[in-house]
Amino acid sequence: MASIALKSFVGLRQQVSTEKPHYFFTSQSQTRPPRKLKLQVLASKSSPRLTNRNLRVAVIGGGPAGGAAAETLAKGGIETYLIERKMDNCKPCGGAIPLCMVGEFDLPLDIIDRRVTKMKMISPSNVAVDIGQTLKPHEYIGMVRREVLDAYLRERAKDNGAEVINGLFLKMDVPKDGVSPYVLHYNGFDGKVGGVGEKRTLEVDAVIGADGANSRVAKAIDAGDYDYAIAFQERIKIPDDKMAYYEDLAEMYVGDDVSPDFYGWVFPKCDHVAVGTGTVTHKGDIKKFQLATRKRAKDKILGGKIIRVEAHPIPEHPRPRRLLGRVALVGDAAGYVTKCSGEGIYFAAKSGRMCAEAIVEGSENGKRMVDERDLRKYLEKWDKTYWPTYKVLDVLQKVFYRSNPAREAFVEMCADEYVQKMTFDSYLYKTVAPGNPLQDLKLAVNTIGSLVRANALKKEMDKLSV
Amino acid sequence: MSISLVLFSPPTQPPLLFPSSPSKPYLTLKPHLSLRPSKFLTTTKASAENGAGTSPSAATALEIQPDQKVAETPQQVVQKDESSVGANGSAGAVETEEDKVLSQFVDPKWVGGTWDLSQFRKDGNTDWDAVIDAEARRRKWLEGNPETSSNDAPIVFDTSIIPWWAWMKRFHLPEAELLNGRAAMIGFFMAYLVDSLTGVGLVDQMGNFFCKTLLFIAVVGVLLIRKNEDLENLKKLLDETTFYDKQWQATWQDEKPGSSKN
Repeated sequence: MASIALKSFVGLRQQVSTEKPHYFFTSQSQTRPPRKLKLQVLASKSSPRLTNRNLRVAVIGGGPAGGAAAETLAKGGIETYLIERKMDNCKPCGGAIPLCMVGEFDLPLDIIDRRVTKMKMISPSNVAVDIGQTLKPHEYIGMVRREVLDAYLRERAKDNGAEVINGLFLKMDVPKDGVSPYVLHYNGFDGKVGGVGEKRTLEVDAVIGADGANSRVAKAIDAGDYDYAIAFQERIKIPDDKMAYYEDLAEMYVGDDVSPDFYGWVFPKCDHVAVGTGTVTHKGDIKKFQLATRKRAKDKILGGKIIRVEAHPIPEHPRPRRLLGRVALVGDAAGYVTKCSGEGIYFAAKSGRMCAEAIVEGSENGKRMVDERDLRKYLEKWDKTYWPTYKVLDVLQKVFYRSNPAREAFVEMCADEYVQKMTFDSYLYKTVAPGNPLQDLKLAVNTIGSLVRANALKKEMDKLSV
Repeated sequence: MSISLVLFSPPTQPPLLFPSSPSKPYLTLKPHLSLRPSKFLTTTKASAENGAGTSPSAATALEIQPDQKVAETPQQVVQKDESSVGANGSAGAVETEEDKVLSQFVDPKWVGGTWDLSQFRKDGNTDWDAVIDAEARRRKWLEGNPETSSNDAPIVFDTSIIPWWAWMKRFHLPEAELLNGRAAMIGFFMAYLVDSLTGVGLVDQMGNFFCKTLLFIAVVGVLLIRKNEDLENLKKLLDETTFYDKQWQATWQDEKPGSSKN
């Protein structure tokens, strides 16, 4: 992370906003329907009541975000449509979910293939630190297969009354006022594989875009772009004796050889391991990084056979616009992946749920039309709840993934029990716990010490080469 | 130990991994192209060329002849016509040994995954400078030749065993001397300049608020700007700290001025 090219993405917004005059900018705009009610700060109470029908909402994308959103909407009495293009999609993903997700989303325990209770952090000079001693017996990181998790959430949404449509979303027609429906154009597959599908349309009152990193809904609302990392992963089937080592252990490799701004990993899956790495700034060298990761793990994955190679983009930060009119983005489509750890599943599901809850509340269980202010409530709640988490992880990434000395210091710090406890507490329960001030101070001193030592060694190393 | 298996891709794999080696007359099975450069990786550790991802075909050609041991992998169906199986066995073993020896950092003072401090004695005390040098050499070696992390030989060296005064004596004091020297030179010159321009002596300068501010700026400047590049780095650092916040708040920028955001 030598020098980040800080593109002025804010310019993106201004460019966009001058292109199309968005109707919601000015509340005095003539394009708004004559809302006989006065301009109030209260949102939903001023929206017109729907007659003869409930609110119709479409959720585009049937991953964790879409599934969670559809379930909450359906439970709230809203006419829900979930559009997913590939029902058995086996997504390339680390597959790690925090403990709180199991409780919050009532996940059955058989969805979880493995419970990881130990992690090994390996520094550029191969100093290996074990973390996880502070975990209590009931705490673990769950490893899931995405196809299993996604299917379960979709099924549950269906059971609650959502209509699951197998189709590929193409585009949508944005209405000119606040009551006309959005018209979605999609290719309906009806479960047929390989066909082109037939063109269909669907009229809905609000849309939740949960269609992932290459979101078409985001394109439809000119949400803007984000920087993204490429994560490259190989699934390797290793001999049983080597697999026993990874029974409940995951590894993280850091180093310039493995990735200049991310980490390489070995995550255990149901009966094989996933070895991968990622990068934002040097996407062209990803294969080189992957080789280096395999090399660093060589002893432990010897004799393994690669059964699958996959890659996917990971958003680095939220899109400049996450909401327009009655269309909101959630999950990867919005860019809710944390820095430093690259975690996205929990935040996708949680944001889907939060957005759906905002719609349910704003529409009074589907009786009223929603408008942008109702959806903005979801953004407010999201930013307020999770901003500290994102910011802390961003700071950690900036400080510790900068260079090899920083990574050495990072691994050294991970050996500290207090650090392990704080890390796992915040990861498993998704709260930034304040902790003990005295120990925080000691931690700060130790961190600075580690960084100073590592950088001093780096200066010596540079002298050696010259 | 069949090292090659790990680096082997199944035949169904499109050979897009290593596009630089399109056609090799020696290879009779195209999909196994992907194996070539990875063998290149294991056999040329001595030359410390690890650019396996973009293996130059010229260099691989050199390796093809001694590299016939690829036949030892069961997935490899062909290569029988290349060289005798007997040679493969022994050649493979040799390569393994060579591989093991070359790929690890070896040093007589590096014992059991850490530096053996008893070997660093000098005049009855531990020579911490030598320990620092040794660790720097080890890390430098690993940077150029990353090796596998092994469970059998875990590395447990922690830099905090080197006492704080050793670090200070070695790194902090020379830099401190440099910076203090700069500060002293600037201070003397500025004091003289201000005195000659305004007639205010040194003691009176210290009492003046404006002069105190200048002094503060001078000290901060000496501390923060040590190299020419530091000016740019500091600006970038400042941008960095607020960049992520700006990205998150972007969605609120077209919000009506009524509702506020942090």
